[in-house]
Amino acid sequence: MPNIDRREFLKLVGAGGVSVGAGFMLREANKDPREYLIPHVLAPEDFSSGLDTFYNSVCSMCPAGCGISVRTREGRAKKIEGNPAHPVSQGRLCTLGQAGLQALYNPDRLTAPMRRTGEGESASFEEITWEQGLKQVGDRLDLLRAARRGNRVAFLTQGVRGHLAQLFESFMRQLGSPRLLHYDFDHPHTLYAANQQFFGESRLPYYDLANTRLLLSFGADYLNNWISPVHHSLGFGESRQGRADVRGRFVQIEPRMSISGAAADEWIPAKPGTEGILALGLAHHIVAEGNYNGADLGAWTNALADYTPDAVAEQTGVPVNTITRLADSFVDTTPSLAIGGGAAGNHSNGVDTLVAVNALNYLVGNIGQEGGLVLNPEPAGPAVQQHRASYSAMVELAEAARQGEIDILIISGTNPVFTLPPAAEFAEALAQIPLVVSLSSFLDETTALADVILPSHTYLESWGDDFPEPGVGFSVGAVSQPVVSPLYNTRGTGDIILDLARRMGSSSVMPWQNMEEFLKYGWRRIYQRGDSQTLAQGFDAFWTSVLKAGAWGETTNGSTAFTLNPDVIAGIGVAPPEFSGSEEDYPFILHPYLSPNFHDGRGANLPWMQELPDPMTSVVYGSWVEVNPVTAEEMGLSEGDLVDIQSPHGQLRVPVFVYPAIMPNVIAIPIGQGHGEYGRYAKGRGVNPIEILSPLLEPITGNLASSATRVNLTPTGGRVKLVKTGGVSRDLGRDIVQHTSLGVEVSSAADNSIPITEVTT
Amino acid sequence: MSLFSRFMDGWRKYRKPGYYDEFDYHWTMTIDLDKCTGCEACVTACQAENNIPVVGEDEMAKGREMQWIRIERYWEGEYPNAKLSFIPMMCQHCDAAPCETVCPVGATYHNQDGLNAQIYNRCIGTRACAVYCPYEVRYFNYYDHEWDSPLEQQLNPDVTVRGKGVMEKCTFCIQRIRQAKDVAKDDDRRRVQDGEMQPACVQTCPTKALVFGDRKDHESQVYKSMNDPRNYRVLDELNTDSSVFYLKKVDA
Amino acid sequence: MHRPMTTETFKLGYNDIHDDVVRSIVKTGPKYYIALATAGGVTLLCFFFPWSYQLYYGIGAAGMNHPGVWGTYLASFIFWIGLSHSGTLLSCVLHLTNSSWRKAMYRSAEAMTLFSLVVAATYVMVHVGRPWFIHWAVPYPNQMELWPNFRSPLLFDVMAIATYITGSTIFIYMGSIPDFAAVRDRTSGWRNTMYTLLSLGWRGTDKEWHRLHWAYTFLAVLIIPLAVSVHSIVSWDFAMSIVPSLHQTIFAPYFVVGAIYSGTAGIVTVMFVLRKTMGFEQYITKLHFDNLGKLLLVLSLIWTYINGVELFTAWYSGTSEEYEALGYKLFGYYAWLYWEMILFCAVAPMLMFSTRFRTSFVPMLILSIAINIGMYTERFLIVATSLSRQYLPDAWGTYVPSPVEISIMVGSFALFTTLFLIFVKIFPSVSMYEVKETMATPKMEPAAPAAGSPA
Repeated sequence: MPNIDRREFLKLVGAGGVSVGAGFMLREANKDPREYLIPHVLAPEDFSSGLDTFYNSVCSMCPAGCGISVRTREGRAKKIEGNPAHPVSQGRLCTLGQAGLQALYNPDRLTAPMRRTGEGESASFEEITWEQGLKQVGDRLDLLRAARRGNRVAFLTQGVRGHLAQLFESFMRQLGSPRLLHYDFDHPHTLYAANQQFFGESRLPYYDLANTRLLLSFGADYLNNWISPVHHSLGFGESRQGRADVRGRFVQIEPRMSISGAAADEWIPAKPGTEGILALGLAHHIVAEGNYNGADLGAWTNALADYTPDAVAEQTGVPVNTITRLADSFVDTTPSLAIGGGAAGNHSNGVDTLVAVNALNYLVGNIGQEGGLVLNPEPAGPAVQQHRASYSAMVELAEAARQGEIDILIISGTNPVFTLPPAAEFAEALAQIPLVVSLSSFLDETTALADVILPSHTYLESWGDDFPEPGVGFSVGAVSQPVVSPLYNTRGTGDIILDLARRMGSSSVMPWQNMEEFLKYGWRRIYQRGDSQTLAQGFDAFWTSVLKAGAWGETTNGSTAFTLNPDVIAGIGVAPPEFSGSEEDYPFILHPYLSPNFHDGRGANLPWMQELPDPMTSVVYGSWVEVNPVTAEEMGLSEGDLVDIQSPHGQLRVPVFVYPAIMPNVIAIPIGQGHGEYGRYAKGRGVNPIEILSPLLEPITGNLASSATRVNLTPTGGRVKLVKTGGVSRDLGRDIVQHTSLGVEVSSAADNSIPITEVTT
Repeated sequence: MSLFSRFMDGWRKYRKPGYYDEFDYHWTMTIDLDKCTGCEACVTACQAENNIPVVGEDEMAKGREMQWIRIERYWEGEYPNAKLSFIPMMCQHCDAAPCETVCPVGATYHNQDGLNAQIYNRCIGTRACAVYCPYEVRYFNYYDHEWDSPLEQQLNPDVTVRGKGVMEKCTFCIQRIRQAKDVAKDDDRRRVQDGEMQPACVQTCPTKALVFGDRKDHESQVYKSMNDPRNYRVLDELNTDSSVFYLKKVDA
Repeated sequence: MHRPMTTETFKLGYNDIHDDVVRSIVKTGPKYYIALATAGGVTLLCFFFPWSYQLYYGIGAAGMNHPGVWGTYLASFIFWIGLSHSGTLLSCVLHLTNSSWRKAMYRSAEAMTLFSLVVAATYVMVHVGRPWFIHWAVPYPNQMELWPNFRSPLLFDVMAIATYITGSTIFIYMGSIPDFAAVRDRTSGWRNTMYTLLSLGWRGTDKEWHRLHWAYTFLAVLIIPLAVSVHSIVSWDFAMSIVPSLHQTIFAPYFVVGAIYSGTAGIVTVMFVLRKTMGFEQYITKLHFDNLGKLLLVLSLIWTYINGVELFTAWYSGTSEEYEALGYKLFGYYAWLYWEMILFCAVAPMLMFSTRFRTSFVPMLILSIAINIGMYTERFLIVATSLSRQYLPDAWGTYVPSPVEISIMVGSFALFTTLFLIFVKIFPSVSMYEVKETMATPKMEPAAPAAGSPA
């Protein structure tokens, strides 16, 4: 023990105390404020620390309508899974669906209502209260309605189904305006029209991939963005390896290999726009070989007379023997299925092409068969097909706006300024409308031009429901419920509409206080379809069970019997596709395709999606143009070379990616990037190929023939480094992805051999 | 136990791959390449489940991607006969893992479930494991990554957010395994049943190409799948004895 | 190996040696301060400042990426370890073979070893992601009962380097004791105090000399296998992996030879500089350059042979992995560096077949620097090319050093120089007593024989 006297001791104690105190103060001063945990004094019912709570809901990231199951913890959404009880997604989910969390927690969300101040360059948004915003819009609506000029109001929404769609409809009916438009860039108008022509009903059939043995896909990227990718993927997996002794074979016909093309057993490049001609070539062969014996054989023979394999081979660029082989196997393999869509439907002959694909199914008897086309029953929820807006409907809207016929435009969810070609002059038309109201959750290109922004909840915060279209062969519905409490001062789209309806004095017709109430009102009808047992339990029990299960289904199947209207056969025929621009000036055909990551551009504000390598090229954070290796070599282009792509309607500068599976006279650019607004992750990245599309239409639907623009390609001499994750995409004989062939028995070595590595069990 | 016998015991274990006489569970994954479409749903599911940071375009340009599971693509042939095959690549949880031998501090080791575990706290960042891994599935935190607020609210509370200077990789969603084992233990100390838990990638795979389970359970789906005649292991010639089995793609 | 000394050495008396060496310690001109300030400044600016930046933000400050997780830090580490090799190793070998020409230069060579090792050890800290936990790689009893992984070549690397540093430090210190004593006797004030402590009470008795010689020889024998093992173990960091083109049995001898090669070239450089700046023209002579030149030539030939073997092994393997790695090395992204290395380390040294070349100071200096540039490149290529081309082609990538890495590399040379500059002011940089041993007795007796001199 060293000698310490009292004074020394006190000094030491004092100094020690002061240092500890100073250290503590310093630590407190530097403390991260997030360290404080504030416990709930009265925790919400479903809130228990450390325990997960799962909520079933519906994904709204794309129009497929997958059921989801959201894991929440301490009131925050942590993970989205597929809902196993939902027949569309069956517990699975795609990449965009997984990223829905980043829409909810996006740093660039609109947090409160806003109003535009200033004009032109100096325009900016100022925050307002909901009362101010709703009053400004509601008063104008009320005025117009009172003056019986409600038809000067237009409502433009993304494609929605279910009761929200019905709400929009009754809202517009109150105003007496026919201008309700559901606009999505990728809505398959031509497919609906073709089915209307062929089946006589404007509904999509169910494509039973799971049970088919041979799938011919004419341009439909069914595993990626076409209609219901998760459900198709499930079917694909089931068909491929889900059955004991049958392995489904998949053939993809398209000018540029898509994800579905890569997954297919055979990829057949056909000249863009000639997919329908090819289908009729197959049909011709089927009929000519005597493989069709229907009563209307004569009509078919007549209709298909011009589509001899030789003529078709000439037009499509597909060899004769491939045509006959495909046709033969399509007949021989049952069940088989032909689907068409995507780029094949986005040509001037789109409807005819898809009718031709249906004809193929008809000729081999796939319609109404398991493993073929299964006709869907009437959806249980409200149907909205008549409000689907094609390109020409949007042009009409823009024209009406220019003529001063529109006083108020309400936009919900859709982003036409980004997804319409500049030829539609939509942005200019918006400027002519006195009051543009956006209900978007994000400041996208269209919302940036709005006068008033009344920001909606994201789908994870709001009430809604969905009846997937197409169904899965029987009626399906699901309720979308909030899984977290709203993050910001936003409101559900339905709630905003109901509030506006009250303000224009429609509360007698639309008496519901909020969307939840309206949903319950609507679902009461579905409840009444239930069996006696369900009815005995009462609506509340039914409602709870629907919310818990996340899905409602009814085993009413569509009719299996189908008779073809003879007029259809006479009308069958596919004209050669038209393209804008001459072949001399514009030697390449532009193939814009929906990006797997961004869909039509809506996913571009999600950092996960930006950083997700494109499956085919592994490029991240940018745009590229895919060029055939031979073409690239002829033009002296290699990866990263900047080229100017010029169409009759615009020009883009974009780096080259040499793509091994694209036709030599086709170039492809993914849609989704090239945003001028839409938050920090999307803004100013890559290019938007829609900007250079020519406004060529499919005449029956008025759909934009988005795959029919011719372009030329000029090297600029510039170079950029294409940011991508992949190195060399050839396996150099290393047998990394191993293959085996069908029919050859794959068996292990002789029983007595001893392998080096044991399969330990 | 005497010091000598302890030493000998340790020595004997050291001589065995994975140190264990027998694993408690032997978690295994099979990936059917005939089903894989390269859609990358697994990649995003993994990002969401495991708090994997978004590194940004500049870092990506430098080649510092952070994706515990990635899709590799291999082209064969030339137009018009070009074919593309995808192969998901993640930590193969090798029972004779090269990475485990090289870590000087033992931050990566084999646990009793046959998993190749990474202890973030222990890692000093020599990155030797990433060099030794022939599958290139180890990812290094070159920076402290940040989440633009409020994206951090999505972070999974069951998974550590890794700081700078630490190596990370696929864990087969060990947090889910732990939870399933906890539940099984509380539930009368039974074993975890087949399908009771799945890693995020397996759970989301839209084509059901990925199958996960305990290969000691011979009734399990994964056991059947790994004994499919199409099974093979990538870079099997390196004798890493990996726990991820691939099923060959069928040419037809 | 034993040769008569050249005439230059004979012109000196015993006292001249003391005068020269003590002068070099005590008399400090402004040039020295300028040099020290410059070197120290560059060290701070180019080494410690970027390193602090890197510590704060993370290893991302360097250019490492996904396949290329190791970069110039590791290359520099091997380079410095390599440079460390000749000093002590050479000194030991030459001591045991009684090569008296070693005696004028070995002290600075050993110092080189020591400081290279210090820089190399610092590089370990620079290289790892969390250097604040680097002590976990050292086996020490701790409350967590956690031990390092004894199967790891990296762990043995740490141990080998630690042992080598310890051995080298003792070796250089022990050899300097008589000289400390000599300097002690010729200085006053704080220096006297310092050298009194450093010389451990050396009086120069027969017993002391006897024990010094015995211990010195013993250590020399001990250090030779140690030095060989150090670089063998460093090579195992690579060879134990299954990375194509790294997984080779030739790596241990390859690294050892490479290390001695670059170290010997380093000695030539350092000796040239010492000779010019410290006024040691009479101690470091053409003879030294001639002998070192021969040694370098032999090493160059062995090194070239091993390089050939490496290429042959890759080709003979017949696997895609090795082929690609080989092709990439010869013709890929870094190929110009490979050919630069071949030019500097295999072709240019052929000049040393000429005696005239070997005995010319400036050409030898240029060549020695070129060899070390080539050898640095070699280390860089071992790391960069191999990691860029591994098993899965889709994961291939290239690594390019960042400005921070290049700055730290430059700074490490400044750090080395700084340490060396401090060394020459503390240690007698030429071994006085051993140089005297090689001299014939001068005709005139010195006025006052210094204590500690072998009279």
